[in-house]
Amino acid sequence: MDVTMTYHTQDIWTWWLALYLYFGGMGAAVLVVSFLTDMYIKPYPRLVLWGALSGIVMLSLGSMMLFGHLLHHVAVIHVLNPLILLRKPDAWIAWGTQFIVWMMVWGFLYAVPHIKDTKIAHRWQLTRKVWAWGTVVWLHDNCGRYAKLIGWLATINGIGVAVYTGLLLQSFPAVALWHNPGVPLLFTVSAFSTALAFLLVVLNLFNHWHEDQALRHFYERMDLILISAELVILFSFYQYMESGSESAVHSWVLLWGNMGWVIGFIGFGLVVPFMVELRGVLKGWSTRVPIVTASLLVLMGGYMLRYYFMYGGVYAYPW
Amino acid sequence: MTHYAMVIDLNTCVGCNACMAACALENQTPVWKGEWRTHVHDKEIGLREDVHRRFFPRLCNHCDNPPCMSVCPTGATYKLPNGIVKVDADLCMGCLACAMACPYDARIEVTYADVRQGRDFYGSDYRRTSPSADKCTFCDHLVAVGRKPACVDTCVGSARMFGDLDDSSDPVAQMVASGVARPLLPHLGTRPNVYYIDDLKRRG
Repeated sequence: MDVTMTYHTQDIWTWWLALYLYFGGMGAAVLVVSFLTDMYIKPYPRLVLWGALSGIVMLSLGSMMLFGHLLHHVAVIHVLNPLILLRKPDAWIAWGTQFIVWMMVWGFLYAVPHIKDTKIAHRWQLTRKVWAWGTVVWLHDNCGRYAKLIGWLATINGIGVAVYTGLLLQSFPAVALWHNPGVPLLFTVSAFSTALAFLLVVLNLFNHWHEDQALRHFYERMDLILISAELVILFSFYQYMESGSESAVHSWVLLWGNMGWVIGFIGFGLVVPFMVELRGVLKGWSTRVPIVTASLLVLMGGYMLRYYFMYGGVYAYPW
Repeated sequence: MTHYAMVIDLNTCVGCNACMAACALENQTPVWKGEWRTHVHDKEIGLREDVHRRFFPRLCNHCDNPPCMSVCPTGATYKLPNGIVKVDADLCMGCLACAMACPYDARIEVTYADVRQGRDFYGSDYRRTSPSADKCTFCDHLVAVGRKPACVDTCVGSARMFGDLDDSSDPVAQMVASGVARPLLPHLGTRPNVYYIDDLKRRG
């Protein structure tokens, strides 16, 4: 016991910042996975549309969480200007904001040719007129022509967003739980795991076609690998925190002594879905229910990880 | 080159909180919600008859490697050549990444409501026009005209001393160079410029 120290958790960035990190990472990874699937596994316009739409909605929701909690909303204009990266290349929020903005732009552009092929795009006279505008025709043609380039720009920005969510926390030196190289790795793995879980829900509930069986199995295998990686990283965190600095040890007590973290996140958010997906990969399931359930648990676990991470960070003050 | 620093002698701080009051009036901080640019903590240390009360003033440490500046996405937090770390309230969007990054808990929130209340509380002299993640400036507006920061000026026990680390004849520089005054959390690599003279060794 050091009587000259006091230990505090923070109440500045709480559940809403966890939502920002969660939706940011998952939204970006959903776009990346759906576009890479379309580019390299099989052309899949419906998946692109689902990925682009839900990814952009998630990124917007996450960004609104941060924007809503700013003290001075008008000043956000400074960080939306891409030139901010020349002035503040060391600030991860500046990078993250640019990644998110451009991810949405490239995500939308990649989906443009597929949007035109949907029924809803031609349902009303107004929308039919819009698709006939010269600028829109030009945009449609060029998005189709440069689809791969746009897809890769979206992918690079998406990976940037997923990694950024961890790098943001890593840049706070006072908290051992956050200030270590494992955080970007953990958050990136979690972002892609939740994205695959989300797409598995989409493919099982809204686009359940027999010809996609191989794709669903591929996603299940990938998710299984990512959950395994997440468990290994969390084991490393356990070891690092247990015998770490005062800040780390206090975070260790907070996290590993909390049933929500141990049973809720690690148990139901990782281990149970891992077992269910492993059974699916090895022997298969006769119904969709187990995989959908496992995916929903992974989605829940993804948020719990970030929630507990925000509340588990401990500042060790020397007074 | 000037390199400002502060030394705080924990042996002579009596916990009168005059520094907090002087700072609040000088810098118009939102004291109505308990937010101060400088704060004096007190803590009881020891057992039975050996208990003593320790007063511990803290403020922004004006780090040479300030994490609040590197995480600031708009460049609102910046450093003057004399070592003072400041915030441009017009550039600050108030994301509070600086507050998360600061190991010394030195940031305070000034909201839209605080700006409105400040006009009532401080009257027509109130200067603040926009919300921001506020912090101590070592009263650089006073230092610029040859005066000391308000907290130093008002300290009844002379617990707070302000000086120039690059001036070898300055008592502050000498106390820091001798190792008597030491920084907080030096292992974090922030290279702070507020130093403390320990009281526990003297008290045994």
